[in-house]
Amino acid sequence: MSTEVATGAPPDPTSYVAVQGSPEFAALRKTLRGFIFPMAAAFFAWYALYVILSAYARGFMGAKVVGNINVALVFGILQFVTTFLIAWLYARFASRRLDPVADAIRTRMERGEQA
Amino acid sequence: MVNPYALPAVLAVTAVTVVIGAYGLRLARSTSDLLVASRTVSPRWNAAAISGEYLSAASFLGVAGLVLKEGVDMLWYPVGFAAGYLALLLFVAAPLRRSGAFTLPDFCELRLGSTRMRKLSAVFVIFIGWLYLVPQFQGAGLTLQTVMGWPYYVGSLLVAAVVTGNVALGGMRSITFVQAFQYWLKLTALAVPVIFLLLHWQAQGRPEVTPPTGNTFLATTTVHFDAPAVLTVTTPTTVTVAPSSTPRLLQPGKHTFAAGSDVTFPAGATVPQVSGTPDATGWLHPGTVPGGLFATYSLIFATFLGTMGLPHVLVRFYTNPDGAAARRTTLVVLGLVGLFYLFPTLYGVLGRVYAPALMLTGDTDAVVLVLPGLALGHGLAGQLLGALVAAGGFAAFLSSSSGLLTSVAGVFSTDVLGRGSVVDFRRGALIGGLVPFILSLTVAALDVSMVVGLAFAVAASSFCPLLVLGIWWRGLTDVGAMAGILVGGGGAAVAVLLTFLGYTGDGLLATLLHYPGAWTVPLAFTVMVGVSLATRRRVPSTVGLTMLRLHAPEALRPRAL
Repeated sequence: MSTEVATGAPPDPTSYVAVQGSPEFAALRKTLRGFIFPMAAAFFAWYALYVILSAYARGFMGAKVVGNINVALVFGILQFVTTFLIAWLYARFASRRLDPVADAIRTRMERGEQA
Repeated sequence: MVNPYALPAVLAVTAVTVVIGAYGLRLARSTSDLLVASRTVSPRWNAAAISGEYLSAASFLGVAGLVLKEGVDMLWYPVGFAAGYLALLLFVAAPLRRSGAFTLPDFCELRLGSTRMRKLSAVFVIFIGWLYLVPQFQGAGLTLQTVMGWPYYVGSLLVAAVVTGNVALGGMRSITFVQAFQYWLKLTALAVPVIFLLLHWQAQGRPEVTPPTGNTFLATTTVHFDAPAVLTVTTPTTVTVAPSSTPRLLQPGKHTFAAGSDVTFPAGATVPQVSGTPDATGWLHPGTVPGGLFATYSLIFATFLGTMGLPHVLVRFYTNPDGAAARRTTLVVLGLVGLFYLFPTLYGVLGRVYAPALMLTGDTDAVVLVLPGLALGHGLAGQLLGALVAAGGFAAFLSSSSGLLTSVAGVFSTDVLGRGSVVDFRRGALIGGLVPFILSLTVAALDVSMVVGLAFAVAASSFCPLLVLGIWWRGLTDVGAMAGILVGGGGAAVAVLLTFLGYTGDGLLATLLHYPGAWTVPLAFTVMVGVSLATRRRVPSTVGLTMLRLHAPEALRPRAL
């Protein structure tokens, strides 16, 4: 069923092979990678920090902030907040930095210019 | 204690699921309708449906149970469940959407041009789907057992039958609406009782969650031990052990009770500690999870990287009309999912105060179900809220298993039974529902969340490396992908099967088998990269075009594509 869609020969490879070779497209991919990989690394490190603190700084993590709420619990909730924050940053980044560039390249392609 | 309102509530949720499914049925005409809802679902519906589908028995029952038993360490599960979505969004969602591959086997064929790889991935989709269906049926069995006193298999059978019928007849179009409805039902079912529970807790002068001397029984409590238990008593406690009615004084120290004992503790007695669970201080401090740091790392690997490999999650991204809508949807999903997890955590915490008996028997998965009755009493309010929670639980089991079964049935119909006709899809749904139902009867003793964690681990060690390397690295070859999946995913699968077959034990081997993620994921990546480098000549010649197709934003693609 969907296989046909997935493996069928692309209709006109030449037009977008040209796009692939263009500096604009290369820059676009670089911008995307430049966001995704550092962000993922930062988040993973932030994640790991929680584990490391839990294992080796138990006093700090167990310190009470208010009532029964300790530092570990605050950290845990912050993990949720950062997850949402990064997703929001990514959505904003994609619509401000990626979509306009892609639109511009496309407009030029449609005008028949060599991209 | 049978709650008279629980059964009508559960049946109402089930009936609504069937009715909305039947309504959607009229709209489902072709196989393509069945599978991706023709991409006509609006982002708001879609986000609620994704969340509804994602928040399964593990989230609804399991997280609260684990927080009650093990303490704040268990926040890892919800944090990981949410963060897994982030990894999916950053690395996989957009390229896979552009690829036009609807399922993981489609992706294998598109990227690697290998039919054998396609078949192998189909096997893993089905295995992971089954693994994830098991705890849903388990949760249903536990729920009807807890609120109705019915045998465990009744609830499993009910959910398995309803979901199989619904999926076989209606497919995805209908479950999109069902699942959006079920997200809100699940949220309401946890949020409304928790408001009453918190008000009650406040009115009682906020009894401490982790008093320094240990939690106490608020009322006279009879605990039934299904398995032998070793309890550590800290203060002298007078109990009665049925059938004898003469009180027995337990001195501080360890006491063993045989399987089948009924032990009655008086109100005000200190709750003894069960061997293998943390005490009050350990509960509040992270780092005391069984299996230690290694188990935590495994959990992080499994949940963070496993979400993208879950068969029912990926297919949802096709119901967005374009990439920008997909991103908006994901944001809403993360918000909805994060909001949801506040509530099971609160149940787990309040369970320390109001349901300490569960810590003794190990039936902590039931805490969400019994807490309203235990805290608010068995009057009208307690019973109505208890019925609401049970109904929410059924919404969770029904919605998650619908999505899973749709994916499993789809892969069955295209890659195992035939060429993907509607009849094949229906036969696939039947087989797909039957096997996990049988499995769910054999693993009743395992924690719901643990089984789900194992499904995540298998997904993280098979499809995560395949997707991440396949999308971001030109050098991946079919042989490399196959070797990586067989070694990493296969290793995780063997560990899971041994755990299912009842392998228990202590020490390193048990930890490695019960928490496989931390060794199988790196292993899968290493083997996949290593073998691909060794078979460099097999890199498909069309890899450049495929990569462009995956990475060029929609706006760049020729209109014909």
